Amino acid sequence: MQRMFMRRVGLALLLMLAATALTFWLVTAAPGNVAALIAERAAGAGADGEMIAKIADDLGLNDPLPLRYARWLGDALTGDFGISLRTGKPMAEEFGERIPMTLALLTGGGVLALVLSLAMGIAGAASNGGGIDRVLHGMALVGASTPNFFVAAMLVIVFSVWLGWVPTFGVSGLTSWLLPWITIALFPASVLARVVRVNLQDTMSRPFATTGFAKGLTRGAVLLREALPNIAIPYMTTFGAQFTLMIIGAIVVERVFGLNGVGAFFIEAIRFRDFIGMQATLTLFVVFFVSINLIVDLLAMLADPRLRRPRKA
Amino acid sequence: MTAPIYQVEGLVIDLYTPTVSVRAVDGAGFHVAPGETLAIVGESGSGKTVMTLGPLGLLPEGVAVDLRGTARADGKDILAMSPAELSRLRGGFFGVIFQDPMSALNPMLKIGPQLAEQARRFAGLSAAEACKEAVSLLARSGIPDPEDRYDRYPHELSGGMLQRAMIALALAARPRVLIADEPTTALDATVQAQILALIRQIQKEDGIAVILITHDIGAVSVLADRVAVLYAGQVAEEGSAIDVLTAPVHPYTRGLLASVPDFRSDSASGTKEIPGIPPNQAQLEAGCRFADRCDRVQPQCNTRRPRLQTVGMGVVPHRVACPVVIAAEGIVTHD
Ligand SMILES: Nc1ncnc2c1ncn2[C@@H]1O[C@H](COP(=O)(O)OP(=O)(O)O)[C@@H](O)[C@H]1O
Ligand code: SF4
Ligand SMILES: [Mg+2]
Repeated sequence: MQRMFMRRVGLALLLMLAATALTFWLVTAAPGNVAALIAERAAGAGADGEMIAKIADDLGLNDPLPLRYARWLGDALTGDFGISLRTGKPMAEEFGERIPMTLALLTGGGVLALVLSLAMGIAGAASNGGGIDRVLHGMALVGASTPNFFVAAMLVIVFSVWLGWVPTFGVSGLTSWLLPWITIALFPASVLARVVRVNLQDTMSRPFATTGFAKGLTRGAVLLREALPNIAIPYMTTFGAQFTLMIIGAIVVERVFGLNGVGAFFIEAIRFRDFIGMQATLTLFVVFFVSINLIVDLLAMLADPRLRRPRKA
Repeated sequence: MTAPIYQVEGLVIDLYTPTVSVRAVDGAGFHVAPGETLAIVGESGSGKTVMTLGPLGLLPEGVAVDLRGTARADGKDILAMSPAELSRLRGGFFGVIFQDPMSALNPMLKIGPQLAEQARRFAGLSAAEACKEAVSLLARSGIPDPEDRYDRYPHELSGGMLQRAMIALALAARPRVLIADEPTTALDATVQAQILALIRQIQKEDGIAVILITHDIGAVSVLADRVAVLYAGQVAEEGSAIDVLTAPVHPYTRGLLASVPDFRSDSASGTKEIPGIPPNQAQLEAGCRFADRCDRVQPQCNTRRPRLQTVGMGVVPHRVACPVVIAAEGIVTHD
């Protein structure tokens, strides 16, 4: 267990390293010249080749790529992600302002996806082929195949424009979070509801479920007390994957609902060829991806008694 | 003879899956009295499990079950019960031991607390008493160091120990009828005898009714008071263990016993399998189900379905569904 734990952590660190190196390479290889951009910003149209060359030299842009990556990594490890070419503010400061927004979006969406998927999956399994099961199956199919920008548009039209219940733009108070949360949670909730439903059904036909019935439990009790713990592991793993994918949803949702988060910043960074901003944001995404998956993996390991307490030889 | 505590008659069970529909049980019945052990024997697929667990609603999900006949537990019609009533009966009145303890025990649940819960719910013990009872049930089932095993998960115990835990679990609710569905099939040969001895000991001590499903004729001869031989969802022969094992009448029973190595001293000449395979239960035909494989088959066997006839004079009725052998060997019937 301990060794498996250390291996996972080591693997995660390696993964982060490889992924940041890859993004660094891609971002620097992208068309566009950082030095030219900086020169332009400083001197307007007056920027000439000499000035650009000097800036490039000062920034070490002419050094070999591995060296530049190593330098970037050293800075990043101390929390220095450079200065955004677009806003002129240190990235650490940008993050400080924006991460809480994105975190609130993801956390709310994650909790909603968790609650919805468990409720839908369990209700479906309880109904077991009945009307509720079929309706929920249909809903999950629709939810998993509707693009989130469309969902967002529909929600805004109905709840903001027609009913006027929530603001169309920006956040003020809890109700304004509802539409972004629903939008971002719909897809993962639908996928996860199917995971719950299918795994529960599979588990209910296993011999130990029959033992549960033989113990005198009702079907509902077998479902919740015997079957549900057995789907914890596949559920947690899929939940981790879906939760990390929500960061991609956040890019769209933040734009649509005018939330000043990291996702919205990323889009702007691309539009303005803010290479520093792009690299910093992508790094943040990578760290988020890898660490969430790591945490979920470790939690899943802890949830499985066979891994938590391996049989002594 | 004590009155039966669990009695099934004229049971017909059809199973439907998306791909097949079979009549798994075709007019079979059995009964068992307190303190009595009934063995149900027959080849695999003959309907032993479906016949015994079907009326309790214990067939795996995913197969649709159509069930007719009567099944009375302590005089109550269990087929007419509501799901909640049947649940209570399953938990308290019946104790079930399954074939493979490795898959029959929930890998995510500790052994002891499950026992304690059964004792609390069905034997009316307080939480503290139930916990003690669970430990003593484990001890009684022959599990060493029961306090330690109480907190163990199934994967931490060997197959034999798990089956003992399964037995303890089945007993925790203090059932009146213990059903053991091939309780030793999945276990090492060395452990099998111990598990059977444990079941016998429990039966002696508690005086409960035991239904032992097995194809281990040796186990039948050691444990059973009565035997029912099942073939293709029908009872071919039933009676006291002595009658059925030493004076079998039905050609299938005779074949089954002849295929057991060293069961009878005169079988030293070697064992012989019953040739052929059981009939396809998806296709129902008139006549004797065994006709295709029977060495005594007569033309009328294919058209008339044999019914059980009582033979011999024993206190325990010995009943056989084969008019051909009964007539050919001049066996007296009376019913
Ligand atoms: N889950 C199931 N799905 C489909 N058919 C089944 C299922 N369980 C049992 N059957 C069928 O019912 C018949 C009796 O099976 P079973 O009672 O398990 O036999 P036994 O316990 O004597 O080995 C067999 O023909 C088998 O194919
Ligand atoms: S009825 Fe006929 S086929 Fe059936 S067991 Fe007897 S002799 Fe064989
Ligand atoms: Mg069976």
